[in-house]
Amino acid sequence: MLILALNEAVNPVFGMVTEQMGANFPWLSFSILFPIVGSLLVPFIPDDGEGKQVRWYALAIALVTFLITIGAYLKGYDPSQEGLQLSERVDWLPDLGLAWAVGADGLSMPLILLTSFITALAVLAAWPVSYKPKLFFFLLLAMDGGQIAVFAVQDMLLFFLAWELELLPVYLLLAIWGGKKRQYAATKFIIYTAGSSLFILVVALAMGFFGGGIPNFEFTHLAQQNFGTSFQVLCYTGLLIAFGVKLPIVPLHTWLPDAHGEATAPVHMLLAGILLKMGGYALLRFNAQLLPEAHAQFAPLLIVLGVVNIIYAALTSFAQRNLKRKIAYSSISHMGFVLIGIGSFSALGTSGAMLQMISHGLIGASLFFLVGATYDRTHTLQLDEMGGVGQKMKIMFALWTVCSLASLALPGMSGFVSELMVFVGFVTDEAYTLPFRIVIAGLAAVGVILTPIYLLSMLREIFFGQENDELVSHTNLEDAEPREIYIISSLLVPIIGIGLYPRIMTDSYRASIEALVERDLLAMERLNRIEIASTKTSKFLPGIIPTPVIEKTVF
Amino acid sequence: MPSVSEIAWLIPVLPLIGAVLTGLGLIGFNREINQLRKPVAITLLSCIGISTVLSYAVLLEQLSGSPPVEHLFVWASAGNFVLPMGYVVDPLGAVMLSLVTSIALLVMIYSHGYMAHDKGYVRFFTYLALFSSSMLGLIVSPNLLEIYVFWELVGMCSYLLVGFWYDREGAAHAAQKAFVVNRVGDFGLLLGILGLFWATQSFDFEGIANGLSNSIAEGSVPTWAALTLCLLVFMGPMAKSAQFPLHVWLPDAMEGPTPISALIHAATMVAAGVFLVARLEPLYSQFPIVGLVIAIVGTITCFLGASIALTQMDLKKGLAYSTVSQLGYMMLAMGCGAPIAGMFHLVTHACFKAMLFLGSGSVIHAMEDVVGHEPVLAQDMRLMGGLRKKMPITAITFLIGCIAISGIPPLAGFWSKDEILGQAFNSFPLLWFVGFLTAGMTAFYMFRLYFLTFEGDFRGEDSELQNELLTAAGKVLEEEHQNHSGDLHESPWSMSYPLIVLAIPSILIGLIGVPWNSQFAALLSPQEALEMAENFSWKEFLPLALASVSISSLGIGIAFSAYYLKRLDLGKVFAERFKPINNFLSNKWYLDDINEKLFVKGSRKLAREVLEVDAKVVDGVVNLTGLLTLGSGEGLKYFETGRAQFYALIVFGGVIALVALFGVLGTPTLPPV
Repeated sequence: MLILALNEAVNPVFGMVTEQMGANFPWLSFSILFPIVGSLLVPFIPDDGEGKQVRWYALAIALVTFLITIGAYLKGYDPSQEGLQLSERVDWLPDLGLAWAVGADGLSMPLILLTSFITALAVLAAWPVSYKPKLFFFLLLAMDGGQIAVFAVQDMLLFFLAWELELLPVYLLLAIWGGKKRQYAATKFIIYTAGSSLFILVVALAMGFFGGGIPNFEFTHLAQQNFGTSFQVLCYTGLLIAFGVKLPIVPLHTWLPDAHGEATAPVHMLLAGILLKMGGYALLRFNAQLLPEAHAQFAPLLIVLGVVNIIYAALTSFAQRNLKRKIAYSSISHMGFVLIGIGSFSALGTSGAMLQMISHGLIGASLFFLVGATYDRTHTLQLDEMGGVGQKMKIMFALWTVCSLASLALPGMSGFVSELMVFVGFVTDEAYTLPFRIVIAGLAAVGVILTPIYLLSMLREIFFGQENDELVSHTNLEDAEPREIYIISSLLVPIIGIGLYPRIMTDSYRASIEALVERDLLAMERLNRIEIASTKTSKFLPGIIPTPVIEKTVF
Repeated sequence: MPSVSEIAWLIPVLPLIGAVLTGLGLIGFNREINQLRKPVAITLLSCIGISTVLSYAVLLEQLSGSPPVEHLFVWASAGNFVLPMGYVVDPLGAVMLSLVTSIALLVMIYSHGYMAHDKGYVRFFTYLALFSSSMLGLIVSPNLLEIYVFWELVGMCSYLLVGFWYDREGAAHAAQKAFVVNRVGDFGLLLGILGLFWATQSFDFEGIANGLSNSIAEGSVPTWAALTLCLLVFMGPMAKSAQFPLHVWLPDAMEGPTPISALIHAATMVAAGVFLVARLEPLYSQFPIVGLVIAIVGTITCFLGASIALTQMDLKKGLAYSTVSQLGYMMLAMGCGAPIAGMFHLVTHACFKAMLFLGSGSVIHAMEDVVGHEPVLAQDMRLMGGLRKKMPITAITFLIGCIAISGIPPLAGFWSKDEILGQAFNSFPLLWFVGFLTAGMTAFYMFRLYFLTFEGDFRGEDSELQNELLTAAGKVLEEEHQNHSGDLHESPWSMSYPLIVLAIPSILIGLIGVPWNSQFAALLSPQEALEMAENFSWKEFLPLALASVSISSLGIGIAFSAYYLKRLDLGKVFAERFKPINNFLSNKWYLDDINEKLFVKGSRKLAREVLEVDAKVVDGVVNLTGLLTLGSGEGLKYFETGRAQFYALIVFGGVIALVALFGVLGTPTLPPV
């Protein structure tokens, strides 16, 4: 009775609050600024210098941020709509055309949720950090806001700023808490990413100034611009390089094994879980959405690069003897499916690419966390120095097995669904000629064989067989502690949930992806019409810009 | 009263619930759960038990002629693509459901005795339940994609169970090999499924078959493409059902605990391939060439397995090659366009082969008390002999199994194998002849196993021989072995009881499929049963039956005189005279070596080379540029301190370049028309 009465008393208040906090509440700005403001307060948290207090504070901030993004999803976001939602717009520097414009559609909303989720878990994973903990947690929280901003902003100049802002924390996290070669890795990371993001700036300026008048960088404005094809191709090339570094696309990938190889576990989780997704997201957002004509021409290239990613990285991963680098290469391999999906010109394939990003965000984070947890015990990452570890660490063995199986796309887990969607989407798609599809599908399916080879060999070398006497003699192989089990379980719930019923995820972005693909297909039709027109007149007028129709751009 | 088929989805779900609960318990409260052996075993046994009851209820319902039941829901969708999942219950599925649940139940009871002293008892039961669930899910799958899902899941369970004793190096390698070889098959299966979907816009069996014939008739899909797709799909069954050349994983998989060999690697999972081919019958029946390929692959496998089994000294490996050979028979039947005969052999073989494996487990269990927990010793028949006197139940049931598999009437194997050979005789006489020869070899090697194990004198205490075997396997005699001079004894009731239960169908089940009145065929396809009964004539049946019985008897006779009477020294008569052949057989046709050299080493080498390229060439270029432009301290300073100016410079340069480019290419504002 008492509870009922209490409920009645609370409900109206609660209802009012939720009503107010409906669609009009600035959810996204709040979720960007909250962790950043929270991070700025870190220096004022009383702490003993070992991080025992500040880590609770950081966890609280990260969790609240996660709740805010969930609130945004539940209260202000309607998954059935294709357009921009939760939009906010405040002029910032009107002369420069810079505006604080944020918003979310199907492309960004799932990734915003992923960001706040993984960051909260990363904070929990950073529990044992005792070297300069305040700075560490400050950087983690600042990154949280920065990452959400990357996915939420709707202005290209702002996007560039957010993209750059995110670099600094990563650089510091690598350079201060990294492994032995941390300076080299951090410098390589910053050179690669900063260098490539110049392309973003150049393209942003070119696109913003396009057509004269007051520059306008907002996506909605850019989407309506009628860029010429050659201009699109130029912009596309620049952006492809910039985002290709981030995703990464072979051969622009070599910063990744170094950065991942030197990062500590929580940073690692963020790098694999979210940072790589920025590349995929940006490819969808800019290359596929804003530059559809160029996309129609570049798509075959994306697909070929995707296949190269899958096979090349799987082979290098197989040969790697260092555990972290092995998993790092496996990330590159999995990103290949994102590329194929983006280039597939089918709603199913593109949807699969999106799901692959989310899925890899979860699986990659879990594997990298496990690498860190294992390293804490074995103090080595060399597979040759391990062996038979499973006899002492049974639960750790079980967690590793489940996550590896998830990574090799076992049905019932998210990786399988996303790869399957990419496969089916690509194969059934009439945009490409049959031989091209056969060859690509065949090669991509080789990945299906290679992935278990390197992942299961890895498991065998770490856990199976006789105990490695030398390892056992000087290490204390304790089994997983509750905190670690908790982190992995939190990641496994969505992994298995999506695997069992993918629509819980795909329905949240379906409308936007379908609209995006529609736009791309229209662009391709336009191109083809031009092509047909130009072939008709080609006797008299040799085409100045040879627009390769997709069907012919093979090999 | 509601139909049982409406709740048939519970059959795979119940064991899943059990497995998930204990699995979560193992991760969350490892120590506590590991002590709750009995409660866990009872829970999981009752889950499988209820599933068994339901399966038989479903089977009865199908026997009484109820129509098939299918329920679907939308699992994934995007654009205009909709992918349904669900379950289907039809006669074929009902037969498999009853078979799988019964054997799983018996194997679980058996495991209670076999794994009693193992630390991983609870984990073992969890895996067993998980496997049963996936296998049952595979059976009720209404479309190819759902089959693929469970196909992978049973593969995963097989991986976990083969690698169950993960401290053994051999188990680790075998588990990985099993998974990877199966993935090679799945590679084809996946591509085939994708291709068939492209060609027919459908994943379900009927839809694919009809769609493909329509597309070919319309000319939208060329015949060669359709053939390729059918063969690609067949790669899946080839790997799962251990068909040549993808059979290499099955003998190695014997590293797993013996109950697993009985359940997964003899009775159920390896039969999934045959089952899938039976499901795809409407598709395959359109293409006689595909049938021929399947029949040839089956025959090769059948002969290869039997010939290797002739020389095996390891009891379990001998049985494993026998399984390979029998699976070949089933594929041969499928290729001859006689899926009912193949399915019938699948059922009878499941009964007697599960019994034989469980019997071998009983033998190994007893041997371990004498020679210790070293598979090299406990499974080698050179150390056995005379076990009949010590363990009569095991011996008798094993003998029944041997008679059944050899094809002596009226035991189960005779009817099913003869049915296959009869079909082969009508379709491909040459293949019939190979199958016929294999029948003789089968009888010989099975009785060789029986005589070496159960008759004669016990040789297990010969420590010289033990040392010899260990050195041959590259292992050292551990001190532990000295403590193991226990007595041979019959296994506990939990192990002997399943043997006795399985002996009954091994003797009798063939009678439901006698060719003149086949109730088995009547269930799966009433029309075909009628035709069979009409076309049956003793004149055709008797000569073939007599021929196969006599060649089997010949095989048994040779084994009898060589290993029981010891009148015939096969070593002298055969092995020394035909050394190359003997070497060829005992080295398993050198297939494992080829596999190791070509694929395992080859892929490692390729991977190392790619890594080399990655480290030296791709990364090398990067580092070189780094050195040239900003590798020196000067360059770094440029980046770290003078960042803003550097940016501004680049931006300026970029804009100029862009402007210049536009100048060259013309005004970009106008769309180039």
